[in-house]
Amino acid sequence: MRKIRRWGPGLLLVSPSILLVAIFVYGLIGWNAKVSLSDWRQAQQTSGFDTSAYGELFPSGVGELGDYAGAVITGKQSDTLSTDPAWIIDLHHALLFTLAFVLGTLFIGATLAFLLDKGVKGEGFFRAIYLFPMAVSFIAAGVVWRWLMNPAPGDRSTGFNLLFDKLGIGFLANDWYLGPTWGAAALAIPAMWALSGYIMALYLAGFRGVPEELREAARMDGASEWRVYRHVVFPHLRPVTLAALIILGHISIKVFDLIVAIGGKQLITQTPAVYMWILIYDARDYAKGAAIATLLLIGISVLIIPYLVYTIRSERET
Amino acid sequence: MSSTSVAVDRTVGLRRRKQAQARVVKYAALLFAAVVVLLPVYVLLVASFKGAGEADPSRAWALPQAWTLDAWREAWNGDQYGLFPYLKNSLKLVIPATIISTIVGSLNGFVLSRWRFPGADLVFLFLLFGMFIPYQAVMIPLTQIFIDVDFPEGIPRLAFAHIVYGIPITTLIFRSYYATIPEDLIEAARMDRAGMLRTYWSVVLPISAPAFVVTAIWQFTSIWNDFLFAVFIVTDPASWPVTVALNNTTGSLVTPYNVQMAAALIASLPTLIVYILLGRYFMRGLMAGALKG
Amino acid sequence: MANIVLDKLGKRFPNGFEAVKDLSLEIEEAELLVLVGPSGCGKTTALRMIAGLEDISSGDLYIGGKRVNDVLERDRDIAMVFQNYALYPHMTVAQNIAFSLKLAKRPKSEIQQRVQETAQLLGLEELLDRRPKQLSGGQRQRVAMGRAIIREPQVFLMDEPLSNLDAQLRVHMRGEIEAIQKRLGVTTVYVTHDQIEAMTMGDRVAVLRSGELQQVDAPTHVYDHPTNLFVAGFIGSPPMNLARGTIEGRDGGQIVRMGSSAIPIPAEVVHERKLDTWAGREVIVGIRPEDIEGPPENGRDDDPVTIEATIDRVEALGADILGFFTIDAAPVKSEAIAEATGGGLEEVSLITREGTPFCATFEPRSGLRRGDRVDVTIDVRRLHFFDPESENAIGP
Repeated sequence: MRKIRRWGPGLLLVSPSILLVAIFVYGLIGWNAKVSLSDWRQAQQTSGFDTSAYGELFPSGVGELGDYAGAVITGKQSDTLSTDPAWIIDLHHALLFTLAFVLGTLFIGATLAFLLDKGVKGEGFFRAIYLFPMAVSFIAAGVVWRWLMNPAPGDRSTGFNLLFDKLGIGFLANDWYLGPTWGAAALAIPAMWALSGYIMALYLAGFRGVPEELREAARMDGASEWRVYRHVVFPHLRPVTLAALIILGHISIKVFDLIVAIGGKQLITQTPAVYMWILIYDARDYAKGAAIATLLLIGISVLIIPYLVYTIRSERET
Repeated sequence: MSSTSVAVDRTVGLRRRKQAQARVVKYAALLFAAVVVLLPVYVLLVASFKGAGEADPSRAWALPQAWTLDAWREAWNGDQYGLFPYLKNSLKLVIPATIISTIVGSLNGFVLSRWRFPGADLVFLFLLFGMFIPYQAVMIPLTQIFIDVDFPEGIPRLAFAHIVYGIPITTLIFRSYYATIPEDLIEAARMDRAGMLRTYWSVVLPISAPAFVVTAIWQFTSIWNDFLFAVFIVTDPASWPVTVALNNTTGSLVTPYNVQMAAALIASLPTLIVYILLGRYFMRGLMAGALKG
Repeated sequence: MANIVLDKLGKRFPNGFEAVKDLSLEIEEAELLVLVGPSGCGKTTALRMIAGLEDISSGDLYIGGKRVNDVLERDRDIAMVFQNYALYPHMTVAQNIAFSLKLAKRPKSEIQQRVQETAQLLGLEELLDRRPKQLSGGQRQRVAMGRAIIREPQVFLMDEPLSNLDAQLRVHMRGEIEAIQKRLGVTTVYVTHDQIEAMTMGDRVAVLRSGELQQVDAPTHVYDHPTNLFVAGFIGSPPMNLARGTIEGRDGGQIVRMGSSAIPIPAEVVHERKLDTWAGREVIVGIRPEDIEGPPENGRDDDPVTIEATIDRVEALGADILGFFTIDAAPVKSEAIAEATGGGLEEVSLITREGTPFCATFEPRSGLRRGDRVDVTIDVRRLHFFDPESENAIGP
């Protein structure tokens, strides 16, 4: 390219950002990965290469793989596993939370968008309500939801349990986020509350992006309204669903504020992100904390990188 | 009437009734969802206006018998739980950080969409990925760097972090917006002998207002509501922004719950006000951040 | 004022597409040269290469005798009028026009005076304080011109400036632009896909097809002596009639046999175009609709050549009547023609007759109707002949 005079200034203007991101994103990630492979397990930093941090997080051999997977899926420890028991529980919680959160939010968001698609009276009013949780911090939301999902039963019940009782559906009362089996899934409820509006907005834009002429042509061809949705509108929504899955998945991996606000540092609500915080701040086990951070990053990259590449490529084609 | 027209009337009537039924169901569902979404707000409001005497959990859902601002006062500037100093910290954080990160985003977005260079798309991806990393992964080395270069402690460090990690999203929003400016507008400026900065200042910036509003609102909300960065970076409690202070207040089991609720409301007030007044720009920021596929 | 020389200019895009191939043109000082051709023919790319908005892949570009391949667009002293006007939306008309002068840091008084002059030239005085979105298409077009004119550049470049205007306005603006160009005497390159614009406005017309120059000449010359089938089909509306025929000798002269018709060729035409060397060979024959007329008047002393025609279709245009009939000669199937006419001649005809559709112009009050059988007169001095293989014109 001969015309450096033309594009040079642009590169120059962007270079501070490039530099800052190179250092503070990529550089620090690299540093983090290095720490994860060191033996910096306590306050003393040594410089040896050590994979013991990862060793505690992964099964030690193919033989343990089955037990490992089983423990993560069921949440029940296995005495034969050599890995960190807290980590197993974290993964189990993360799994439950992700499934509940992603599927729940997708369903609610899509349904709300579907209901709003044809235009209802007060649509702006409804949309504003569904979206407002996005303006609230997870910490503030956590204050309320912790109270709403208070597991205390009977006389001391409060929050939802109390509400159910008053509404005559007291049998629905349960332990919520402190429940041993489904606690992590209960944590997904405030997350769903916070994000459904956003997913609704995505789907609504998707619904409305379907050219009206396509729907009209289908109706003229004799399709019932349901068929119009199934054969014309829904196929159009595949990219939206993909984007939503990616975004929700990545939030799910990263979620931190909400868990801390509701469950604090308790093991019963712990997820990998929270465990990392505890390891670094309280236990000062830097290598392991860094190892968890690296694993989180890998998990997100698997989701995000293909998606980014796909987005830029389809942008080029248009 | 002939039998055909009767049959037609019947089917038309049937369809109308079905449509009416469907509409009722639709509104019912939407209203139910709205109620569920607003439930926490109700709880917050109701609890915050209750006095200490009404703290009985069995009365949790009832309206206050005696409306009082005690909890609000306590949460605002009470000796024990007052959030006021922390609100000031948040304000000192959010305003400069929002302004700077918005400007940076605008310049980046402009270059990467309308004054491109070879590899501009790659640079964009390079920057964009920064939005998705788990920030916990970089907090420790980040704080270490701050210590090593003796960066001014407290809010300045936090502001710097937000500016740097805000680069991806602000760049994204502006780049998407500037992509809608016709290329020939930029070419006309070039033919009029305008250089890059001139073109930005005289041609692009004057029509950037919508993107500025969207980005500023988004950044304001994200930075105000952030907890993760603050809890790692700001060590001195006196410098805490309001989210950390709130978590501290409400994490303790001793704090009366009416004060907790009032505190949560106070901490959320600025972003809620921005949302109520400028909600539609908020929506646009959401859509830009979605990387529509 | 400057002349422009394109010396084997070429543009290849990163995806391999060659938009412009070996384009060589010389544009004289103060000339208005029109670059014309169908969409995708490379005319806009060529224009943008002259502007400096596209990099030149091969060849050389000279403006005012200086090689400018590596000179940035801002330093070429060129002003451009864009197809969609590209007016700065937040500036007033006066500010739009004055922008380049403001950038050049001219004194305020000078800017004001020149803006006034330019506005007067274009009839924009009343609009100086309006914003682009308050203007009509024609007004915006004039502001775009004002922005270019005020710079007093060496060269004007215009990229289809009239294509977004209504038909009547276009006719009016054609004259305005030409008048201004003549008055200011600035070398101008004008791009359009509309061959009527090309014919009426240019000192010379350059016809492009798929990035290659087909012919460059004065409009009437391009019209009367197209160098190949593409130019013949592209220039002229309604397009030239074309059919296959064979040159045969007869009675000491040459005729061209088209289907069942035998059309004698005047001796001077045969001589001029050396048609005797084509005896016995197939050619493509062309004749413009206005060179075919209604039945000859009685008492003409020359020997008018006529063909019997049954009118399939009539288009009454007011100034003329177009009559469409079929001759039983073989049609011409050529990609060049398809491209030149936008595919019209290749379309399936709804009239299920074998042969080639022809078009002729008739007197507007002749009362021609569908089904009429008339003898149409062919002006044989205006016949065109083309080599079927190379598609080039047969001639001097």
